[in-house]
Order: sequence, then C-alpha cells, then structure tokens
Amino acid sequence: MSLIVDSITKRFGDVVALDAVSFSVEPGRIFGLLGANRAGKTTSMRIVLDILRADSGRVTWQGVGNTALPRRTWAYLPEERGLYPRMKVGEQLRFFAALYGVPDTRAQAEIGDWLERFRIPEYLDRKMEELSKGNQQKIQFIAAIIHDPDVLIMDEPFSGLDPVNVRLLKEAFGEMRDRGKTLIFSTHQMETVEELCESIAIVDRGRVVVSGLVRDVKRDMGRQVVRLATDGDGHNVEWLADLPGVTVTSQREDFVELGMPAGSDPEHILRAALDRGDRVTRFEIAEPSLEEIFVEHVGHRAVTDDEEHLATTGREANR
Amino acid sequence: MSGLFPNAFHVARREYLIRVRGRAFIITTALIAVAVIAIMLVPTILGAAGVADPVRIGVAVETDDFDTDPVATIQTLLIAAGNPNGEPGAGGDEDDLPEVTRVTDAAAAADDVREEELDALLTITRDDEGSLAFEYLGSASPTNQTRLLVTQAASALAIGDRLERSGISEEEVARIFEPPSFTAVPVDPDDARDADDFGGAFILAYALVILTFMAILTYGNWVAQSVAEEKSGRVMELLITAATPRQLLTGKVLGTGAAGLSQYIVIIAALVIGLIASGPVAEALGTAGQAPIQMPDLNPAMLMPFGAFFLFGFLLYATLYAAAGSMVSRIEDVQQAVGPLLFLSMAGYFASFAALNDPDAQWVGVLSLVPFFSPYLMPARMLLTTVSPAEVVIAIALLLLAVAAAIWIASRVYSAGVLMYGQKVGIRTILRATRVSR
Repeated sequence: MSLIVDSITKRFGDVVALDAVSFSVEPGRIFGLLGANRAGKTTSMRIVLDILRADSGRVTWQGVGNTALPRRTWAYLPEERGLYPRMKVGEQLRFFAALYGVPDTRAQAEIGDWLERFRIPEYLDRKMEELSKGNQQKIQFIAAIIHDPDVLIMDEPFSGLDPVNVRLLKEAFGEMRDRGKTLIFSTHQMETVEELCESIAIVDRGRVVVSGLVRDVKRDMGRQVVRLATDGDGHNVEWLADLPGVTVTSQREDFVELGMPAGSDPEHILRAALDRGDRVTRFEIAEPSLEEIFVEHVGHRAVTDDEEHLATTGREANR
Repeated sequence: MSGLFPNAFHVARREYLIRVRGRAFIITTALIAVAVIAIMLVPTILGAAGVADPVRIGVAVETDDFDTDPVATIQTLLIAAGNPNGEPGAGGDEDDLPEVTRVTDAAAAADDVREEELDALLTITRDDEGSLAFEYLGSASPTNQTRLLVTQAASALAIGDRLERSGISEEEVARIFEPPSFTAVPVDPDDARDADDFGGAFILAYALVILTFMAILTYGNWVAQSVAEEKSGRVMELLITAATPRQLLTGKVLGTGAAGLSQYIVIIAALVIGLIASGPVAEALGTAGQAPIQMPDLNPAMLMPFGAFFLFGFLLYATLYAAAGSMVSRIEDVQQAVGPLLFLSMAGYFASFAALNDPDAQWVGVLSLVPFFSPYLMPARMLLTTVSPAEVVIAIALLLLAVAAAIWIASRVYSAGVLMYGQKVGIRTILRATRVSR
C-alpha cells in the first residue's frame, strides 16, 4: 500500500495554490517532487503532513487517512532550516525524540549512531549556534528522522550543502530506503533526482503536469537524444540541422545535443558525420534528461516576483 | 489528535530549563532579590543612621511673663504630638524624645541651626497687642515634620496663653486641652478593616495587584517572545510536525509560568528574609521598638482563592500572549501584536487602584466577576471588604471558563499563525486563517 495523494486542492484567498494535485509513491521508494519556485511543492508537503488542511481531496498512507495517522509516521525537513540556536545538539535532538515518544535511552543511542555516521560525534555537547551551516543541516536531518518514521518528506534537503555532505546525505537516503522507508523530496538539482528517484511528479502553478516512473516519463517524451562530438568544427552544426528529423537542442563546447523522434534511427547521424571525414570522439544515444523534461514543461515562462509573492502570502491576497 | 500530555510536558520542561538556566534570568532574579532585601532594610538602617535622632529645638524666650515654663510646655506638647495614641512607652527609647532646650544667646543658637547642631530655633516674643508671636528658624518646607510639630505646639501654647490672660485658671486650661473621647465604629462589625490590620490589608492588596500585573506583563511577554523566536528561527515547522498546536501552546505557557513562579518564589523568599532580618538588624542598630506593620490574619481559606486568581489570571493572559506571539514573523513585531492584551491588563490594573480606594462601589463588585479583571479586583476586594463566598466561586468559575475559551481560540490562532510568514497582523487575517487550519 502506498502513499496516495488524491486530488488535493488548496486555496489561499483567491489564489489557487494547489489544483487537484494527485500522485502516489510506492513504499520503500524515493520520490522526487519537482517544480519551479512557488509551484506548490511546500504546500503539498505540508498538506501530506497534516500541518495544513486541504480544501478538498485526501491523503492516505497504507489505506489510512493522514489525519488519523500518528505524528511519528512522518519525518519533515522543512526548506527553511532552524533549530534552537542556544540549545546543545544532544539536548535538542533528545527533545525532538521525546516529542515523538521515543524513550530517552533509545534516543541517545540513535543520536550517537547518527552523529558518528555524519562524522560529527564531537558536537554532541556543543551549542547549535557554534556549528557550521553544513553541520547544522546534518543535525536538522537527524532531528527530523530521530523517531524512525515511515515516510520522510524533505524540502530541498541538499540546498546549501557542500559536495562531501551531499554525498553523506545521499548515502543516508539510500540507507533509509534500504530500511524500507519511503522518501519524498523536492530539489532543483535534476542530476540528484536522476541519481536517486525512481519516480517523480513535476508541479507547475499548483498542477501536476507530469508524474510517474522516471523511465516512463522519459519514454513518454516521444523523442530520443543523441550527443555527438567530433574533431571537426564543433561550431558548425548546420549540416546536422539539415538532416531529416533532427533538431539541434543544445550546442556545448564538449558536445552537440540533438533531438529526434523516438523510434527513428539515430545511426544516420553517425554515418553523416563519418561521411564528412570527421573523427567521431563521442556518439551517445540517450533518453532526454530530466532537466530537459523539466524545462520543457515548466520553463515556458519565468515566474514573476508578483506571482511569487501571491503564492507565498496567499492568505492575504483577498484583503 | 493526540492528548495534551506528555508532549506539553516535554515542551514545558524545555522552556523552563532554557529560561532558568539563562544568564539573564539568573542575574535579574538575583538583582531583584537583593533590591527587595535592601528596600526592606534601608528604612531601619536609615533610622539608625540619624533620621531617628531626637528632634533638637532651641527656644529663645524673649518675654518673661510666663507662669509656667514655655520650654517645658513645648516639650510636653511635642512628645504628645509624636505619640498620638498616647500609649506610654510606644514612642520608643527615652533618647528618641524631642529635646527642647532654652537658649539665651539667640545668635549663637541660629548659628547652631545653620551648622545642623540644632534642628530648629523658635523665638517667642509678644507683639504690641500682647499676643504671643513665634519666629521659626529651620526648614521652611511646609511639610517638614519638625516644623509641623512645632507649629502645633506653638498654636497650643498661644491658645493656652490667651486663655490664661482672659482669667481662666491653670486647671481649667489643662482640662480644655484634654483630648476628647473619640471612638471609630466600623459600619460592618465583621469588616476586614479592623483597627489593627487595615493598614496591612491595604498594603497587601496593593502588593497582590502589583504582583499580578507584573507577572502578566513580564511572563506574558516571555511567552509571546518565545513563540515569536521559534517562528522566526524556523524551529516552528519541526515542532508543529512533531506536536499539535495545543500541546505546544500549553507547554509553552506552563513552562514559562513555572519559570516566572520560580522567580516569584525567590522574590517572596527575599521579602520574608527582609522581614525576618529587619528585627535583628534594628535591634543591632539600636532602633528596635518601632511598631512593625501588622499583617492581616491570612488563613489558607483566603490564600487558596488568591493563588487561584493569580494562577488562572496568568494562564488566561499568557495563553493569549502565546497566540499574539504566533502572529508575527519577526521578534521586533511582538510588542505591536501584544498591544491589545497590554491595554486590557493595564485597564484591569488601573481599575483595581480605583477600586482600592472604594472597594464597596457597585462597579467594583461587577467588574470583580469579569474574567480579565477578576484576577486584580477580587483579591483586593477580599482583603478590603466583605465578599460572599458565592461571589468568589462565581468569579473563579468564570475565570476558568475564560481560560478554557482562551486555550481553544489561541490554539486555533496559533496553528494558523505559526506558518504565516511575512504577513501583517490583522484580525481579519487571523479569522480567515483559523478557518483553514487544523
């Protein structure tokens, strides 16, 4: 039984923040919630967590409505990080564990384990404000999952982390999944989504525009991608554009990316390149990247500040 | 939705420990305690240091047609004025009695006054019509205690002199000056304004009102501040995921209240120490015997309602302060948000001062039942006048109802408020928000 978000709608005054948003996540999987800023990701998460109530629609986990589930079912890592700055790391984590009903001895053992895993055991008795931002984020993550929840909901978990910490957090994600946890996270880093997520939903202006398994989403784009690099003049791509069914989607210093309908034979591109007498250093047939898919679905316009403002302070909009 | 405990307890515990371990709390509490003890002891110490020095007055008599010695008469009159109850010995040691001496060298005596060897110099002459005339050299302040006493003595002396000159015998004059029989009969024989303890009851009523007001103001602000801090520091989103708004709100109010109460206990302990110490200190300094203020009999039956009004009154206000704190995004805006509550508690505070002067007024009786005012007015009324137990019970019941309503309203405002960032505080915003929250 999975997490099912069924047609949730949420209005803040006149602004429709979510318009019949639906998606589902299989247990034990990692799910990416993608969207431009203010697309409705945070609101969706808050409704799943029952911090906010939807105007209509429902959320169920393993067949049970989210309002009936105990709080410890969920973990939440909010986008805006923050803990008590003047409280010691250990005390802080034990406080959150206590709120979730974790016995103190077990909490202390868990805290020790996690600090060890994140390579910061020496910070147990340090005040939060004395830690670097990256380390604070790791503590924040521990605070969110200290009670061994079933579903982890993380808003931009990787933002602001250096590559080493990103790696540590990704490992933690993988481990949680292997323990049978269900993970939902939002991010702007498409590479991370490709790396971690089995399925995704792309949200735009409160609507789900695409959702499903990543490989289905890619296949449904109906085109394939060819990446080509030769020792010839990389800036001269006209001959490529002249090939039937081929469009140049991106011209980079290291390769040229071409799009063509799914099912057509990409080999004539290779043949054409060889016929020109160039040496082919790269020829790669691929599915479109999530980034392309994302841009294609939501990149048709830039979000204006005005719209952003309305979405954030929606409740105020009808004053 | 889960029950209130144990999460409210966890929140309260954290709140309490953070608060009482804080440097600001420790320093403030210590300073207040020291100040309280100092205030209690300073009058005693000052008394020993000189204020209680006997009044020394020089009298230059420039007319010598007195039958009796005017200097002795003035001395008698001053002693009587300083001890209006006429209780022998209550005026303290012999040393404390006014010292009136006859001076022969008026100019030298005037110099003594200027050098503060003497408190005042009184020169007695006769004017052309034969009446006594007085010239007083000393503090010219009309409220100066010595001057007031000497003025009284002088007028008594002058009246006695006139009577004698009109041929009234010395015995008769003495009889004329005999104080009349004067008995104060209370309107209500059971009235708390008993001759012995009314002063104490009045002071206690003042103290209760002030303590209640300070608790609401200070600790209410702590609650609002701490909610706003959690919100601006973004801990709130984690908290609200882990616990329900009602648990958070209740825990916050209880934890802060407990910290406030701890501070109060220290202050009250300091008061008691000051009271206990003032006796021995006075003795050590040789100023013992000054009658201490008589405290009214406080029995548990009276203290229980006082405690109830204080606690529930605090709960009522603090709950609403928490709601107010949840409506702002920045700590700087807290003061603006708590404005209406501040106004309400000030209104109760000032109303109770008016009530202290007229505790039997009808408006006081009515207002002392109204939840936001009863924590101030009812204890004051109970101390100063007779209140039927039924009224006290009704006031407490109404107060409890108000607390329950406040928790209900506040947790709705709170659950909506804690996730609203960057918005202006307004009643309409809040009302709309309470509709959409869980």
